[in-house]
Amino acid sequence: MPLVIFVDDSETALASTRMVTDSMPIEVKQYLSATDALREIKSGLTPDLIITDMNMPVMNGFEFLQELRKHASTLRTPVLMLTTETRDELKVQGKALGLTGWIVKPFNPAQLKQAIARVLRLA
Amino acid sequence: MMQFLTKLDGLLTHIKQVENETIDLTREAQLRFVQFIEKNNLHADDATIEAMQYQDIVSQQLSASIEAIESVQAYLQYFSKAFSEDDAIAMQSIQKMDDKLGNALEKAKAKHAAFSGRLGSNEENGIEFF
Repeated sequence: MPLVIFVDDSETALASTRMVTDSMPIEVKQYLSATDALREIKSGLTPDLIITDMNMPVMNGFEFLQELRKHASTLRTPVLMLTTETRDELKVQGKALGLTGWIVKPFNPAQLKQAIARVLRLA
Repeated sequence: MMQFLTKLDGLLTHIKQVENETIDLTREAQLRFVQFIEKNNLHADDATIEAMQYQDIVSQQLSASIEAIESVQAYLQYFSKAFSEDDAIAMQSIQKMDDKLGNALEKAKAKHAAFSGRLGSNEENGIEFF
């Protein structure tokens, strides 16, 4: 099964995504910080899709994305930003950094499922 | 004047404390609700899952408001110090504080907009692929 990792400093946000993905044919891992996720990736974790929050302490979504692009194993891994931010300039910046897409909170569960299925090419 | 500033600072500290407590209580309430759903293998429908995300937005909004209060308190402290030391400096400080309070308000309003997500918007599709 494809591995999807979620990174968000909000436990309640992670719980909401868990309720959406529990019926999908995917394996899910969740992290409360980008540094925790990055540590696992450096230890050999190879996600098929990464969905991350933007505004997080210590390392924000863009910094996380830049770190991911430095590692061979996540150089081309699709990354979706899941955030309350709606500013166009941030989307432009994200696109330039190699982001796959932008999802605005509160997300519509059906649309999040569709987005994950589309990126992972699930039947 | 100093008494007024002290009271204002106390009021801001109180608001900050209430906001922090609100963040903690809403998070705790939300997590207990999630635990109940998961423990009993219940299925939350889409509308419920969407509503469950409001706590995260409330928390971000209040955190931004706390940040704004903290910057205002820092300006007040600076002004109080100037006021107690020298009248002329205090007058200059009033102008500076006015500017800084204006900046703090603008910054807070921008964060309010940035952290609202799809709330209050008619945007149906919140997903964009690049």
